[in-house]
Formats: sequence, C-alpha cells, structure tokens
Amino acid sequence: MTILERVERARRTLRATAIAAAALRGLAAALGILLLSATVDAFVSLPAGARRLVPFVAAATAIALFLRRLSRAGVRADAGSAALWIEARFPSLRYALVTAVDPRYEGRVPEIERAAAQVSFEPAVRRAARRALTGPSIAVAACVLVLLVLPAGAVARVIRPAAGDALSRVRAGSRTNPLASMVVRVSPPAYAGLRDESFDNPASVRALVGSAITLEGVAGDGQVVATLGGSRTSASPSGDRWRLVLAMPSAPAAVRLHAAAHERLLVLEPVPDSAPVVVLTAPARDSILRKPSGRIRLSATASDDYGLASGAFELIVSSGGGENFTFKSRTIGAATFASRSGELAATISLDSIGLQPGDMLHLRAIVRDRNDVTGPGTGTSDTRTLRIARADEYDSVAVDPSPPPEAEKNALSQRMLLMMAQALEKKRPQISHATLVGESRSIALDQTRLRKRVGEIVFTRLGEDTGEQGDAVQKRLDQQMNPDSVLAAADRAASAAAGTALEGDHDETPLLALNRPLLEAYNAMWSASGELEVGEPGKAVPFMKKALDALQAARSAERIYLRGSTRAVVVDIDRVRLQGKDKGAPGARTPRPAADPSRDDRIRRFDAALRLVRTAPSAAVDSLLLLRLDLLDRDMAAARAIETAANTLRGGHDATSALIRARRALTSVPSAPAPLTSWGSPP
Amino acid sequence: MSDFTFCTVQYDSGDWDSAPLVPANLIDSVARYTSISVAPTGVIVPLGSAELFKYPLAYLTGHLPVRFSELERRTLGEYCGRGGMLFVDDHNHDIDGVFHKSAHEEIARAVGPLKELPNTHALYSSFFKFDDGPPATTHELNGWGDNLVHKHLLAVMRGDRISVLYSSKDYSSEWGYHPDNKRFLSVDNTKFGVNIVVYALTR
Repeated sequence: MTILERVERARRTLRATAIAAAALRGLAAALGILLLSATVDAFVSLPAGARRLVPFVAAATAIALFLRRLSRAGVRADAGSAALWIEARFPSLRYALVTAVDPRYEGRVPEIERAAAQVSFEPAVRRAARRALTGPSIAVAACVLVLLVLPAGAVARVIRPAAGDALSRVRAGSRTNPLASMVVRVSPPAYAGLRDESFDNPASVRALVGSAITLEGVAGDGQVVATLGGSRTSASPSGDRWRLVLAMPSAPAAVRLHAAAHERLLVLEPVPDSAPVVVLTAPARDSILRKPSGRIRLSATASDDYGLASGAFELIVSSGGGENFTFKSRTIGAATFASRSGELAATISLDSIGLQPGDMLHLRAIVRDRNDVTGPGTGTSDTRTLRIARADEYDSVAVDPSPPPEAEKNALSQRMLLMMAQALEKKRPQISHATLVGESRSIALDQTRLRKRVGEIVFTRLGEDTGEQGDAVQKRLDQQMNPDSVLAAADRAASAAAGTALEGDHDETPLLALNRPLLEAYNAMWSASGELEVGEPGKAVPFMKKALDALQAARSAERIYLRGSTRAVVVDIDRVRLQGKDKGAPGARTPRPAADPSRDDRIRRFDAALRLVRTAPSAAVDSLLLLRLDLLDRDMAAARAIETAANTLRGGHDATSALIRARRALTSVPSAPAPLTSWGSPP
Repeated sequence: MSDFTFCTVQYDSGDWDSAPLVPANLIDSVARYTSISVAPTGVIVPLGSAELFKYPLAYLTGHLPVRFSELERRTLGEYCGRGGMLFVDDHNHDIDGVFHKSAHEEIARAVGPLKELPNTHALYSSFFKFDDGPPATTHELNGWGDNLVHKHLLAVMRGDRISVLYSSKDYSSEWGYHPDNKRFLSVDNTKFGVNIVVYALTR
C-alpha cells in the first residue's frame, strides 16, 4: 500500500468519524430537549401549544448542531487535510507526509516517501476516532435510558402531543384526587358528520345537543359520582382510570362531580341544531286568480347548518267564509337531500285541486334536517296565498260587460237633443217662426225632462227622499235649487272637498264634490231649456254642448270602491264609565320589575366569588362557573369573560385582569336598540 | 298618563280583521268596570311596525293560517322582549284547525313555545276572580269547533310574566257584538277581557 493510499484511508476514517460524532451530538441535544421537556411537564403541566413546539425545537437544534460540528471538523475531502492532521500528531515527519501526498511532487522525491512510509499513524487515527465518538454516544445512550425510564405517557405528551392526554402525566393512587385532572371527549351525533374532540381539564364544554360527553380521569381517592339536574351517575372503572358518559342536554347545565371530599364543576353548554332556512322563490308574491285553472311553478331553496334530509311543498286549501271554513291539505314535490343546501321544485295544476271561487290556496315549503337526536328540525318558508276571485268581485279583478250607468244614458240623450237643436237651427230659414217655436219648445220639453232626471241622480246620491213621484225633487228643483244656488253649492263642495277626505265631517260635502260635473250639466240644461222655450235653438246649442261635456266628464270620473272597512264603533266612555254591576275584586298591585332584576344578584355573586379567590380558589372557580351558567342564555359576553377568569384562576395564574374584564362585562349598563316610546293613544 | 288604547294586530297572512267588534266591546268593559283611562276607539297596527311598541297589550285573531314574515316575527319577539303582551285567540275554536297549528308554530318561532297556564295564575284574579280558570264560551258549551271545553289557556312566559296569552276558546266570537247589546246579557261575558287588560297594564 503506498503512502498516498494509507493517507486516503485515514482521511476517510477521520471524515466518517467527524460526521458520526456530529450526528451523535445533534441527537443527544434533541434527546436532551425532549428529556428536559418531559421532566418539566411531569412537574408543571406544559400547555399543549408549548408541547407541540418541543419536537420541532429538538429537531432544529439537532440539525443546527450537526451542521456546526461538521463545518468545524478539521478533515475535509482532500488528502492534504488528512496529512496535515497526521503531521500535527507526528512532528518528526517534518512535513514529509504533506509533501509526499502533494500531487505536484508525487513520485519525484522517493526519499521523502520512504521517510513518511516508516511512520505508523493508523493507531493514532483509530484512537482519535474512538475518542470523538465515545462522549456523544454515552450522552445519547444516557438520554435514551432516561427517556425509557420515564412513564410512556410523559414522553408521548412531548413527542406526540394531543388534546386529551392530560391524564398521561398523572399516576393513579389511593391519595390521588381523581378530579384534579380530567379529560372530556365529545362525540357529536352521527348525523352531524363532525369529528370527535378531546379537551384537557375544561371548565365548560360546548357541543351539539345530544352529543356523547365522556369524562375520564385517573382513579384515586373515592368513587366519582356526577350529578346533573336531579340524576346521579356513578363513574365506571376502566383500568386505573374512571369513565363517565353523559348526553349533552338541550339547556345549559352544570355537572357536579364528587369523589370523597373532592368536588368539581363542569358546565355543559349545548349548541342547538338550527332548523333549516327555507326561502320560497316562486311564486314570488300573493295573487288573486280569476279562474282556478292553469299550472303554477313552485320553487324553494333550503339550507341547514348540518345537513338537509327531506322537503316538500305543502298546500292548504281553505274554503268558506265567516264562521264556516273547511280546510284540506296535501304535499307535493317531495325530495330528499344529501347536503347542507338544496332546492325544491314542483309544478301544480290548479285544475286538479278542485278550487272554487272564493277559495284560498296557501303554499309553503317545508324542509327537515337530518337531526335524528332532538329533531328533525323543521324549517318552513313564508306562505304565499293564491285566492280565486268570486263572481261578485270581478269588477276589482276583471270587468264584464254591463249596462251603461245612468250618466251615460243621459249623455246619449243630451247628444240627441243637441243634434235636434242644431238641425232645427239649420233649417230655420226654410220654416215659419211658429213652426220653429213649436219644434223648439218640443226640444225644450225633452231638455227639461232630461234636466230633471239628472237632478234626481244628484239628489238621490245626496240622500234626499225623492218620493215615488219625484215630488220632493221637483219641489227642490223648482223652488229651492235654482241654477245659481246649485252651482254655488257645487263650488262650495268642490273647494271644501279639496281639503277633506272622503269620510269627512260633513257627509254631503264630498258627494257634492263628486257630483260637480252633473251639477254643471244641470245648470247648462237649465239655460238651454230657457233658450229653446223662446224659440232660439241656435242660442241654446252652446249651453247644450256645455251640458254634454259635463255629462261626459261625469261619465269618465274616477270610480272609487270602498271595500273591507268596518264601521268603527266609538265607545261613549263617559256614559258607560263604572256602570258595570260587578265591581270585581282586584288584588294588590305590584309594580313591574326592573328591566333586569337579576343583574344586582349576579354582581353580588361575583363579589362573593372574588372574596373566595385568596382563601379558597377552587371554590371561587366553582362559583364563577355557576354564575357563568346563569349568564349563558342572557349575557354571552359576560359569560365568556367569566369563563376566561375561571380558567385563569384554575390554571393558578394571575387572574386580575380577567376578573376586571368579567366585572366590567357584568356591570355594563344594558342598552335598548331603540328608544322606547311611552304607552299612549293613537297618534 | 296616557290613555290605554286597545290595539288589534294586523298581520299579512290570514284574516286578522275577523272580529271587528271585540275591541269596542272590551273598551266598553274596561270603562264599565274600572277607572282605567281608556281611549274610546282601538287602533289597528301592522305587526311588522314599530308602532306596536306603543301599546302594552295587542290582540290577534283569525281563522286562516298564520304565517308571519321575517319582519313580523322579529317585531313580535322584540315586542314581547320589551314587556308587551300579545293576546291570541283562535277564532276557529278548533285545536285541529289551521289557525291553531300555524299560530302555534309562528309563536314558537318568534317568542317561544306555548305552555299551559295554571288556572291559579294571577291572570285569573287580576280584577275579577275566576276560580276555575278561564271562563267557558258558548261555542265550547255548544260543542262547536273541536267540541272541547278547554281547561287551560296557553302562554309563553318571560320570567313570571305572560308574554303571549293564547286561547282556543274563541273569545273573539264570544265577545264579537256591539257593546250596546251588553244590556241584554244577564251576566257580562267580557269580564275576563278586563282581567287581561288589567294584567297587561299592572304586571
């Protein structure tokens, strides 16, 4: 073997030794960190977050140390570095070895190679390798040994930290407080599709209603008994542990755990499964149908927090009126779901339902969720109502042909009289004066008759009794209501009606206002009759046209239908006041309680818990947890603040700031979303 | 102090105005038996309106299915939360009827589930004493509707106070006549209505 080959072998040995030593040092450091963490955790429970960091810190330390040691190793990849390492330990070589392995002098100076070959450096290399590996190997072995000696749970808590491993660091024993450390495992109902969760030493547990709550602890002093509401449940032993299974109730409750002289509280905070949210998208609004025929498309969307199961559209047909209603219902469009949201769709044929005029069809969508524990939760959409119009209300939905009203008849007659007057005026030059006057008076007679008919309409609307023969109308027309007075009444009515509603203080006023066009026609007819009476059809024509226009205006006036308003009954309070024969026997009146009467009580309980903090911290924690239980359904912010304070106290930390926040949350003044108005009479 | 004003609730679905004479009749009775300052006419307030908060007692009835809109539901919940009292009467007097079923559902969604009100509750002695609980109506005694004489009223309680009072006894029919006709009755059948008003105002 040449000197170069010997040096190269020594270099490989030294290099491998350096790598192995660096790796052993890194491994020893990592094991040391794990060992230290497990030891500290055995005395002071490390938080789960800190424990999750330990493996990463150990690995990072090992890698860093390995790289550092490797970079500082003296032997590199070339033979020269190994020759120098050997020269440092054999000074008698006087750099002969370095020269011999130098490629520039290789084979040129045989004397130097021979001198170097005479030195046996291999034993020194082996000794150095042993020395370099011995220390780290011992350290690794020691760490491994100690880790093996430690309880398996303790090491697992730092190597594979997981929620629910709090019990790993506690040993069973007759003097052990079995309630000191507890793990709660929550198994949600299968329909929710949620994963199981575990919690170490929780003060309260939030879970879906119906979830299985498994409490587990280490066996110790006394049998563990849980009291929930009025029922007591004993824990069952399982190896060196106790286990107890409860069901999450539907209302917040506190579980009291007893074992010998030990006691602990656990607040169960149920999370309700919300009912599905259903929105009926079609039909979009209520409607009135003239005929119960045709097809209607129904559609709805639904969503749920955990999952939908089934849904359908519900139809209710209500028939009848007053006191006699009959109902029949059915469902259509049933569908099943396999997700958290879905759509319903269906089409109904109105012909198949057998609706009658006046019937009402109520439509809504009903969806059920997958809750098979406390449900199923049922969500319903808003209801759409489709009504079939009755024949007597067609004028509000569709107008059938009907005879023209009286005003239109009058318009036709007035137009005929106007044409007759115009024709007479046209042939005036060809006829004698006597004939003209005679025909003119004939038209005047018809005009007067028509005027009286218009007058009947007006005054009948005004509520006057016209009498069988129309005597009253005649009397009023001829004696009391001359054209000026009628127009004056119309003017007054029109001006008064402008500022009053239909149901004003004076019943006549709005009706007169509505009749104003007819009154104008009446007046124009009066003037036309006068002209016609004296044989002046030409002068009568403008008045007759005016009357015709007024009648047209009356015919096209807006029609108002008053429907559905019941006559208001006004009680004469002064007349009936204390007129009842029975005076009653009223009991003692008590004022209404304040808005939140329990607030002061809660603050008192909080103060009492604070007083226990120094002397009996566990009792203070229990008091705070019970107070939190009462707050769960009325003041969630305060409940959260108190939970934080209780957890801080239970962990043995300074809870001052948490308690201050809790008290602030408790004593904050409640505010109403909008100012309240006083009870009062209608505005 | 303002006058007490009887408030009838108008809701979008159903026939909320099926008992138009009940308000006047109860107003008459309140004036007839008590010294409560009362407005001579009632008011009709949409259930979805903030106007409802002006009135301590609200009356709701009907024959048809009751379906509250989201706004109506929210307003009713807030109304009861602020101390208002809703009196609901099934005009169908039929626990198998659609009003009963749908109103139960809606009240449960808006305020809370209805439960039986004990016949010893303060409501039955708030003014007149009704030792046997709610007085029976002629509709019950005649076997109309569901052919039952209901022993209890139902209620949603908020603390120890009634938030929603629910009747299947059809007081809306029993009290649905003009108050002037009260003189023809040997025993005034609206006295229980006075208890409801007095309870709503004093508890």
